[in-house]
Amino acid sequence: MTREQELHQALSDAVLDMDEDLTEELAKKVIEEGFDAYAAIDAGLADGMERAGVLFEDGEYFVPELILCADAMYRALDVLKPHIKVEEQAVKPRAIIGVVEGDTHDIGKNLVRIMTEAGGFEIIDIGRDVPPNVFIDRAIEENAEIIMISTLMTTTMTNMAKVIELLNERGLRDKFKVMVGGGPISQAYADRIGADGYSKNAAEAVRLAKSLLGMEVAK
Amino acid sequence: MVKAIFVNEGIEIEVPLGTTIMEAARLCEVYLESPCNGTGTCGKCEVSVNDEIVLACETELLIDTEIHTLMNQAQNRSLQILSSGRSFQYDLKPMFDSGYGLVVDIGTTTLVVSLVNLTTGEEEASESLLNPQAQYAQDVLSRIQLAGEGDSLDTLYFALTDALNDVLMRLSAEIGISNDDIKDAVYSGNTTMLHLAVRKDPTSLGKYPYTPALTGGRYQEADSLRIGGDIYLPPFISAFVGADITSGILASGLSHTAETTLFIDIGTNGEMVLAMNGELVATSTAAGPAFEGMNISQGMRASKGAIDRFQFNDDGTFIYSTINNAPAVGICGSGLLDAIGELVRVGIIGKTGRFSDKSKEFHITENVAITQNDIRQLQLAKGAVRTGIDAMLMARNISPDDIERVEIAGSFGYHLKESSLLDLKMLPESFRGKVSFVGNTSHSGGAALLLNTDLRAQMEKVVKSVQAIELADDDDFQKMFINSLGF
Repeated sequence: MTREQELHQALSDAVLDMDEDLTEELAKKVIEEGFDAYAAIDAGLADGMERAGVLFEDGEYFVPELILCADAMYRALDVLKPHIKVEEQAVKPRAIIGVVEGDTHDIGKNLVRIMTEAGGFEIIDIGRDVPPNVFIDRAIEENAEIIMISTLMTTTMTNMAKVIELLNERGLRDKFKVMVGGGPISQAYADRIGADGYSKNAAEAVRLAKSLLGMEVAK
Repeated sequence: MVKAIFVNEGIEIEVPLGTTIMEAARLCEVYLESPCNGTGTCGKCEVSVNDEIVLACETELLIDTEIHTLMNQAQNRSLQILSSGRSFQYDLKPMFDSGYGLVVDIGTTTLVVSLVNLTTGEEEASESLLNPQAQYAQDVLSRIQLAGEGDSLDTLYFALTDALNDVLMRLSAEIGISNDDIKDAVYSGNTTMLHLAVRKDPTSLGKYPYTPALTGGRYQEADSLRIGGDIYLPPFISAFVGADITSGILASGLSHTAETTLFIDIGTNGEMVLAMNGELVATSTAAGPAFEGMNISQGMRASKGAIDRFQFNDDGTFIYSTINNAPAVGICGSGLLDAIGELVRVGIIGKTGRFSDKSKEFHITENVAITQNDIRQLQLAKGAVRTGIDAMLMARNISPDDIERVEIAGSFGYHLKESSLLDLKMLPESFRGKVSFVGNTSHSGGAALLLNTDLRAQMEKVVKSVQAIELADDDDFQKMFINSLGF
């Protein structure tokens, strides 16, 4: 294992161990020792978050641990980001995320944002109580490939279907992949309204987003 | 057309091709649990077809089909209902000096109906039953959703009034009066239930900004309810803090107690009121259905065969009880809280909610186990309640130590133990020794409103002064919620 690989492994482990002081320290070492910032994010931080996601799905980690892992990741990210080379930027796939109109519950949405950002996506968070057309308008503006829609309430889940209907009406359905999730949502519901995918938690959302875009999905 | 044959019930019905088993069951009044109102998420409407377990809400009938309902479905009809709650001394000042009054506690799941003698103030007859609306859509949000579809509002309204008229016929006969002798009535219940009970579309309650379409603190014509007077609807605080809590405030004397008191109704929505120096703060928190045993792998409501109590002995063995002492077939909310609380206390479950030895489940009986995911669901539910408590303490800038009295209302709360709530950190440790379980104060407070009309005006004034906190609007909410998930 090279010194650079050692640092990547240590970063990944530190994210998994929720040790934000250590991730920051390791990130500084990456820069001091002249290694590539982007590679450290990808092979170190993102790898650690992916492993955290696996533990989450296995029931080993829960929401608080996931958030602490993300905090550790962000501390290192703050150090590494200014050092990313220009040619490495803007290669991330983009996605819009928001909570449907009528609903203000956004913790689930925020978790998906954190995990998909960590998974290498550029996420544009358009907040909560978002009208169906705004999802589409913002997705066009931001040149997004995926529209992620969340709701906690049975009473507002029909607004997910509206986004898809409007995409069809505007002749834009094949421009975007649509992902849905939240308390009352199921795979059956996602199928019924013609969404491209459903994930039952934030960790699964990362894998789903990647597979929808034909990206490599690690197990 | 195809035939749906419900074998255990001995009922057959012809339905159009492609009708779901759930729809067929409703048409012929076979009761199936459907807490998620047929979205395919809760898994509680399982039935057996050709020895295969399927979801009734997702299975369409394409040929004549024999359907076997499962044991859990039948047992949920024998639900435990708590009809009495703490009350207080008040003068008899009824609207009429003679005749009878009606009090109905309209719970999302259950109804408690009482006839009260207006001259003596005595409750002379009472009956508890399942809210018949629950078979159409079990939880509050599903019911709001359903009420907005087609003529479902009428279906829900008449389901309730028909059931109440049936009960009234029995109760009136029991005490030898006619329905015309029932001159006054009080409906107590959450905001959605009151909308449905007076045939008001509750759609606006189900979406931001969650505005009621109805104002409380008013009289409503009895319409299809066969009584000889109007119905009084107590004032309510918000879409999610309803007249049941108003009744609770009254029954617990929160508006004039000298002690700093926290009043909590633990359920799918945890509603709570903090009383301090005569000022009241209220909030509600979306706990989800875990406390009702829903989205729990072997969860069920508090009916026959549900594990409802659990305790470890000092020697590491454990004991449990089931409702009606029947063989254990599942676990209800109180059993789940007890069991997970005890597993945390003895260290089998760690502070993060993970089984300490990384096992996947803990078996209480051969058939009934608590899974890792069940623990996670409970963490979310109890975390929501704790976040509500913390938010109210923060709003009044006090610490948990400043709380002198904690009152847990509602029939679910009535079956809980203080120690479990503390072990789970649903309640802060400094609440130890301060918790009391006050029962169905929605009903007892409703009875007070029936028997003393001065209290109606008084509560209308109190409710106007309550400061309602909307948790989701709070920037710290997410952080508080995440911090409250551990044990």
